[in-house]
Amino acid sequence: MGLVFTKLFSSLFGNKEARILVLGLDNAGKTTILYRMQMGEVVSTIPTIGFNVETVQYNNIKFQVWDLGGQTSIRPYWRCYFPNTQAIIYVVDSSDTDRLVIAKEEFHAILEEEELKGAVVLVYANKQDLPGALDDATITEALELHKIKNRQWAIYKTSAIKGEGIFEGLDWLSNTLKAGGG
Amino acid sequence: MIGVSSARFQQRRFISSLSNASARVEDGDLCTGDTVLRRNAFLAYLFYTNKDDGLMSDAADHARLKQDRCLLFLFNYFHQIFLLLVLDWGPSMSSRQEKANPIRQSMSIRQERANPIHCPDLVRRLEELLCHPGNELCADCGSPDPKWVSLNVGVFICIKCSGVHRSLGVHISKVLSVKLDEWTAEQVEALGEMGGNTILNAKYEAFLSGCSKPRPDSPFEERSDFIRRKYELLQFSHCIERNASSLNTCLSSAASSSGSEKKSYEKQHTSNRLQVLGHAFRNSWRRKDEQKSTSKKGSTIGMVEFVGLIKVNVVRGTNLAVRDVVTSDPYVILTLGHQSMKTRVIKNNLNPVWNERIMLSIPDPVPPLKLQVYDKDTFSTDDRMGEAEIDIQPLVSAAKAYENSTISEPMHLGKWLANEDNTLIKDSQISVVEGKVRQEITLRLQNVERGELEIELECVPLIQ
Repeated sequence: MGLVFTKLFSSLFGNKEARILVLGLDNAGKTTILYRMQMGEVVSTIPTIGFNVETVQYNNIKFQVWDLGGQTSIRPYWRCYFPNTQAIIYVVDSSDTDRLVIAKEEFHAILEEEELKGAVVLVYANKQDLPGALDDATITEALELHKIKNRQWAIYKTSAIKGEGIFEGLDWLSNTLKAGGG
Repeated sequence: MIGVSSARFQQRRFISSLSNASARVEDGDLCTGDTVLRRNAFLAYLFYTNKDDGLMSDAADHARLKQDRCLLFLFNYFHQIFLLLVLDWGPSMSSRQEKANPIRQSMSIRQERANPIHCPDLVRRLEELLCHPGNELCADCGSPDPKWVSLNVGVFICIKCSGVHRSLGVHISKVLSVKLDEWTAEQVEALGEMGGNTILNAKYEAFLSGCSKPRPDSPFEERSDFIRRKYELLQFSHCIERNASSLNTCLSSAASSSGSEKKSYEKQHTSNRLQVLGHAFRNSWRRKDEQKSTSKKGSTIGMVEFVGLIKVNVVRGTNLAVRDVVTSDPYVILTLGHQSMKTRVIKNNLNPVWNERIMLSIPDPVPPLKLQVYDKDTFSTDDRMGEAEIDIQPLVSAAKAYENSTISEPMHLGKWLANEDNTLIKDSQISVVEGKVRQEITLRLQNVERGELEIELECVPLIQ
């Protein structure tokens, strides 16, 4: 019975909890972003075989952040993680211009998923520190973000290595989720 | 025989961790990923024992454990011998079947979306390139059996070195996985034309003298430093000389060749030098950043310790226990090491069909796959409806042995016999079907009055 009250109390007044998926093509910087959020540090990563999951406390919201491997054959398994997701962070390597079309296709395939209908979308135009990285306006166009309907979204220029833009994006996300989006 | 002894060693490790067995998962914070799951990681390692709380405490259990260990040992032993025997004539068999049945194979490969490469010719060509002398070892650290490729450089590298390559940016190194990525014919062709590790190392490591290469077990910093110097700064490369005199020699030798050639040569030099300056500048701040981070936390985060993926299809439950008035709302939690995932809840059903595919990463040493069935309650703690543990080591070993096989006919690799001492309802077979190593298991749930669970496992090994 005590547990019931604890649950009820925390749902009314306590920390809000949100389940977030970090998605994107392989080598977009998803794992680096996850650990930048969680520890505030740059970690040395290797390709994610499967997934990483960490809890990130930010702006009174407890984010349960799932970072899923981006390799082609792992992508079909993303859908296992879709249920009960409040937000998607879609990470793009802004310097990998050759694969922007594939990034766009994967992105719009995710948006069509029924289980993610209510999820808000935050796009990180990552790797801004690399030469030839496209800016947020160009990425917005390349991903055709203006085609998104009935959903809140935002795009931020980020550099996970330098730590730029990540928390600005999380600010938007926590405000949007608190306001009832997702 | 190495496989057998290592399996025994892992068993011992887990059994010695019995004393550390910790509290069970509470409802509400299930699958939150972090602390709870880690707390769960070293729960007792049992092979289908029937004890109530899942922990070993008395003599009878020790006897049973011994028996189970014996069974597992025998299983592994015969399993390894079987693999050795089969592997000996496996390749000849596969080539025979490929010739006899090429259409069937190409069709079966196309059927599944998850298959990384759609065309069997490409698979074969990539496998050939992997076996090419020089490509069996990572071009940077010498780890055996590399499974990653830097596409624009053309070298085969291990997963740890691939992590560093990826951090350089795609303008320097584009990394693809041989096993997990989709390849186009052009990419495979281009890779073949570049000549492989030996030829490319002769170019990128022409002036290596005095600088030692990292080893397979080298720490990240050493690996990272070498790879940056090798590919980003081109410090060991023959086409970039660091002092002006050697650059002049280079250019004067080029002068003897045709004019157009010389022009392109000079252009290449200039652009390379500019690139090097740019990278060196970018490097300076990035290194500082990295040093700062390593001083705080030295270890590599990511998935170094994972040896592959296990795809679990939770098929169905049969005759499950009643936890509400006359029925239950069952769901299953799967735990492997500190990763945990759950299926959806099926309301009011004692014979639920989930048919849900879930993917987990396999750590090293390989822990047992833990299955827990719960009844979903809205206002109170979810009720337990039984559990089970599966040793996936034999499946992982079989998958490792078979990852390169192109046998298209289904073949049985081993069988886990159902008997009174384990929880299997029927014999569980490990088989290779279309190059995928699978195991189907139907088992009796433990610590519950009744209930059976049917699952299918598929293992994708990824050592490098």
